[in-house]
Amino acid sequence: MAHMPARVTRAFYAEASGDLGLSGLGDTVNVAEKKRHFDEVLTTNETLAPVRLYDQLCLRERASAHRVSTFSRSVVISGRRDGGMTKSALSARAVSRYFGATCALANVDFELFAGEVHALIGENGAGKSTLVRILGGVIKPDQGEVFPDGQRAAFDSPRDAMAAGIVTIPQELRLVPSLSIAENLTLGDPPVKRVLGMRVIDRRRMRTAAGDQLAQLGLALDPRIRVDRLSYAERQLVAIAKALRRHCRVLILDEPTAALESREVERLFTLIERMKREGTAILHVTHRLDEVDRLADRCTVLRDGQVATVARRGNFKIADLIVAMTGGFEMPPGDTVSQPGGIVLEDVSRHSDAIRLRANEVLGLAGLLSSGAGRMLRRLFGFAGERIELRRNGVLQQITSPADAIGIGIGFVPDERRLGLIMNQSIHDNILLPSLDVITRGGRIDRGEGKRLVEQMMELLDIRPRRPELPVAKLSGGNQQKVIMAKWLARAVGVLLLDEPTQGIDVAAKAQIHTLIRNFAKRGGGVLVRSSDLTELTLICDEILAVHQAHIADRLQRSDGYDEQRLHAAIGG
Amino acid sequence: MKQHSTKYAWPWLRRFNLAGQAPLITLIVLCLATALMTDRFISPLNLTNILVQSSIMAVIAIGMTFVIIGGGFDLSVGSTVALAGCIAAMVMVRLGLVTGIIAGIAAGMTVGLVNGLIIARLGVNPFITTLATMVLVRGVVFLITGGAPVGDEGLPSAFIAFGSARFLGIHFLVWVPALLLVVLSFLMQATPYGQRVYATGGNRDAAYLSGVPVERIIASTYVWCGGLAGLAGVMLAARLQSGQPTAGEFYELTAIAAVILGGASLHGGEGTLYKSIIGVLIMVVLGNSLNLLNVDSYWQRVAIGAVIIAAAATDRLRCHQ
Repeated sequence: MAHMPARVTRAFYAEASGDLGLSGLGDTVNVAEKKRHFDEVLTTNETLAPVRLYDQLCLRERASAHRVSTFSRSVVISGRRDGGMTKSALSARAVSRYFGATCALANVDFELFAGEVHALIGENGAGKSTLVRILGGVIKPDQGEVFPDGQRAAFDSPRDAMAAGIVTIPQELRLVPSLSIAENLTLGDPPVKRVLGMRVIDRRRMRTAAGDQLAQLGLALDPRIRVDRLSYAERQLVAIAKALRRHCRVLILDEPTAALESREVERLFTLIERMKREGTAILHVTHRLDEVDRLADRCTVLRDGQVATVARRGNFKIADLIVAMTGGFEMPPGDTVSQPGGIVLEDVSRHSDAIRLRANEVLGLAGLLSSGAGRMLRRLFGFAGERIELRRNGVLQQITSPADAIGIGIGFVPDERRLGLIMNQSIHDNILLPSLDVITRGGRIDRGEGKRLVEQMMELLDIRPRRPELPVAKLSGGNQQKVIMAKWLARAVGVLLLDEPTQGIDVAAKAQIHTLIRNFAKRGGGVLVRSSDLTELTLICDEILAVHQAHIADRLQRSDGYDEQRLHAAIGG
Repeated sequence: MKQHSTKYAWPWLRRFNLAGQAPLITLIVLCLATALMTDRFISPLNLTNILVQSSIMAVIAIGMTFVIIGGGFDLSVGSTVALAGCIAAMVMVRLGLVTGIIAGIAAGMTVGLVNGLIIARLGVNPFITTLATMVLVRGVVFLITGGAPVGDEGLPSAFIAFGSARFLGIHFLVWVPALLLVVLSFLMQATPYGQRVYATGGNRDAAYLSGVPVERIIASTYVWCGGLAGLAGVMLAARLQSGQPTAGEFYELTAIAAVILGGASLHGGEGTLYKSIIGVLIMVVLGNSLNLLNVDSYWQRVAIGAVIIAAAATDRLRCHQ
């Protein structure tokens, strides 16, 4: 726990009084005083403004945590402040879940009401996906219970959850790509007719049924189209349509907007709003705080496997939510503009959108998922299946494969860690893989030299635990990402190409990687970084290139001061 | 996330990595059990017999381990054994011992190169590719030999001696895999090439992005496998004193089973040469002990199949953890 025991972060959620919002989050109060206050609330709940208290102190005590949640339920039911938000559609009580020695969820209470949009936010690793998987019946909690519809039930499988009307739309959609929309929608219970006494699939009825359903969602798609022809956004809507074929009281959306463009997000939100009006309870897992503000009636913030706070509409301020998510961790401010040196990398095979990277410079590529910014990065590493010409330190070079790019001192951190690491191999072997030729003496790997290099890198990047023989699969996301960085620092490359270098890692590791990137540039390296997190780019980059439809639409300098609106406009977001 | 301290009751056991030594333990238990049930097992004649029987399969299994570590699979080794044996015998009768041996190994390497190029360059599934070459190579063997054994007469006497003579009391045939094990283990563990094979099998994409020439690495593992199968074919010809076109049938299955028994993963990236050889010894000792115990030969097949399934299932369970 990051907090000292005597100081407790106040995380009140004011049901009626309205004045005790998250605004007081940073304040601290005396523990005894707090406990007394809490007891008062419990005993006098008829009259007093019901205050829901979710601080870690109380959550440690199982019994009191129980009281909190039972209490808040009764309050809400008697409160009846706005219609529809009174019936519990799905709740979890004192749920804990361990993975090996790691505690993913500790004594978490959660409640979802019919007809509300409830946002679930938290850093990566905070326990969001574990909670979602428990609520969806995919995994069982080690302790605690799940109550669909206010009644106790043990889910043994996702099937049980589905039978209880709980449908999860995961990020990886469970559709069969080679089948048509209609076939996917009716998979499991296709309409049948009898031909010569045999049950045969009724294609026509299948198509019309599917067409009706798509139309209901406002989707003008031909149900005969194969699913692999659809965009991600369309496939997602098909998945939702499929979910709605069944009885669906609770819809759980796991980061549904992560891969969508703004227009598609709008379409999804319209749908969510409509389902909410029809009384469906919607759990919206996200890491975009503007969506919480836009859409959610209530918001639960998880941190380190515990509920950091529960806030309701009108009471959440984005800054407070960030504090609740991160535990008050501050991002290091970007340092002053460094003096750029000579050009270390120049793309000469493209004239209009030439990327020129200087020494001591961090250059950002901003763009939406489909903007082509990722491809720009990959082609500089010879990973886009084409031959390109680069000028590296003034010398013209041909690049056809990553091996060529590495040969002239370029390193690449891919956006998927799966592409950067060999998961079943050790930290040691992963770090040394690109440097094998460097540490080989007379055909034989110099083990001592390799070991020294690895130890040096693990120290420099603070890779934990300091056990080089550990398989990287056992590391946290942040440490895995550091191992990928270490691969290139061990080889002492001069140029780093980074694709989403801090995606899916916790704030502390993020800050360390930002510092690392800045330091790398300060020591004369050039960094080209693509990120969908514009705040991150404005924090670490000296210049940002806005990419739209595979072209550089705008160039923004740190020295001019970043104008986020201009940046948004340029990437077409 | 919070880390709870985890305690182990037997820390030294963990360091020893008991699970990793499962093949060796299986072999020892198997030997002890058989020795208890029949005293014929530990007779010098029987033990020598086991080693000689294992030697040819061990050479094939070493090559197969290369391919499996690299994430591949090779069904064509059995046919390659026959091809190499016949070519070696044919060439030897006319051009002498050394040329014959080289020709046999080269024939195996050629088959491996064809496999490797099709799989690595064209991206064809290894199962289909080597299934096809398995049939194709066997056809070629029958074409060049006309279906009859080669070199019944006229094989150099040194070659025949190689099949039965001993050095320091141990058969030449056994020295071959022993020597290969030492040299090739060094190649796999201590050189960049070996590490790159492991990396390619572990995650081809990640290896490629780390500058490993994955196509060349994958192709090379098939060349090793083919070449070693060729050498095994030459050894078998020496032992049979002729090139047999029907030799080596089902060798591919035994070799793959032995490598899996030795703890290599069919997903690639894992495996050790010496453990594969232990896998071979397990297969041979199992067959030997069932013979000594007068178990019906039909039941022997059932037992060997069951052992392979057990090995694959434990591999799967281990991956799950």
